[in-house]
Amino acid sequence: MKNILASVIGVMFFVIAACPCNADPSNDTLSFSQPPTTFKLVLSAKENPEKAANPLDEDYQEDENLDEYANNEIKEERVDIADPLESVNRVTHQFNDKLYFWAVKPVAQGYKEVVPESARISVKNFFSNLGFPARFLSCLLQADLSGAATEAGRFTINTVWGIGGLLDPSSGKELNLQEQNTDLGQTLGVWGIGQGFYIVWPVFGPSTPRDTVSIAGNYFLDPVAYLNPWSARMGVNVLDKVNAASLRIGDYEALKDAAVDPYVAFRDAYVQYRYKRVKARQAKWSSSPGPAETSVPANPESSKRGQ
Amino acid sequence: MKKHFIRLFAIFVILIFSVPVYAGAPLDSVKKCVNEVIGIVGNPKLKGEAAKEIKKEKLRVLYKEMFDEIEFSKRTLARNWNKFTPDQRKEFVNLFEQVLEKAYGDKVLSYTNEKVEFYKESKLSDDQFEVQSKIITSSKEVPVFYRVINSNGKWKVYDVVVENVSLVQNYRTQFNDILAKDNPAKLLEILRKKVSTH
Repeated sequence: MKNILASVIGVMFFVIAACPCNADPSNDTLSFSQPPTTFKLVLSAKENPEKAANPLDEDYQEDENLDEYANNEIKEERVDIADPLESVNRVTHQFNDKLYFWAVKPVAQGYKEVVPESARISVKNFFSNLGFPARFLSCLLQADLSGAATEAGRFTINTVWGIGGLLDPSSGKELNLQEQNTDLGQTLGVWGIGQGFYIVWPVFGPSTPRDTVSIAGNYFLDPVAYLNPWSARMGVNVLDKVNAASLRIGDYEALKDAAVDPYVAFRDAYVQYRYKRVKARQAKWSSSPGPAETSVPANPESSKRGQ
Repeated sequence: MKKHFIRLFAIFVILIFSVPVYAGAPLDSVKKCVNEVIGIVGNPKLKGEAAKEIKKEKLRVLYKEMFDEIEFSKRTLARNWNKFTPDQRKEFVNLFEQVLEKAYGDKVLSYTNEKVEFYKESKLSDDQFEVQSKIITSSKEVPVFYRVINSNGKWKVYDVVVENVSLVQNYRTQFNDILAKDNPAKLLEILRKKVSTH
């Protein structure tokens, strides 16, 4: 009797061990809330992949989904952003859309006709160089000393040898000082402050309460904001925006045309982008002083992707 | 006891044969496809409006070669996929492909000598990899990551992540938003309309 019991348990153990679902530790995320029928389907489809007659007949399986969505930890954080202001946001989104098609784009296109690309890249470099204070401060606040040093070096070199920032010799192969893509909103994210809900600002576009800090902070940290009179300030800001738009004509249209619901598409793209930027900065923060990849945060995959 | 061993042996045989076959480096496979795309788009013999259709036809063939369309569609619908009948699924895969062609076809055709650099592949799971590349233009660098899955011994793309934004996730959010309020038939109708207009 004891023998039979032991062998039955033994066989059961091997059957369970051999079940393809458990063969891979990454499959542990298989959700048990799925109805048992789905579970059976999963098994049969996995055991004979050749015999699965038509992939169209197969059900969607949660366990094969390796996106950030599958990872429970992140699921909470990012499946979606709360959008309590959706009705207002949609109106602002429409306004910004019209602003782009009726004003920004035609002006940028005219500007593009007149100004050669190399000059427009120089203008972009110039404004990007002026954005140094915000990036430098953000690096410092994130305890990213190497990033702050890189920014300080870039600013000095590009201002002095890059003719006031028109050229960008620092990012060349020899010096290889790349611009630190960070801002105050990301800093708050690194500190653990959540994104909150979605806001579309007129002119500024997609944002969150957290990222609005960047807009406000830039007001104080951007040298252009100290220009007098206000008309000069406006003029310079418009040049910045038009110049930037002239280098990106077509990007907005492409995203919009590809979307089934452009409002939702832009919201999602914004949230995904910001999320991964913050993740990348967080990885840097938790692993300083060293390359981000040496640290193993809760979800190694997302930090890898955030690079 | 003997029976027991036979059983064990059978289980081991099944285990050994269920290990996925080595399908060649994912990076090389994606790189080859992208180079073929560049070859078609940049072909000096195929110029002008008339050649556009020929190029598109060639790209369509390549798309099927490069992407796992069903996997792609399934992931964009996620759990909602199970609400679709087989016929609806078939139509969805077809419509989704057309939406993508409409959205990105001209973008791909407008390629002009931008440099594409493949630099890394990272493992996501036993049969999933992420191949990282960047497109370098005169004013910027755009990171483009391809997520590939081993489908019957071939590496097929099931997601493209451009500038940190996953295409699958982006569409998933949109479809989810629609399917939270409406049924699959309504989504198909929206897609049909999207494909037929302009």
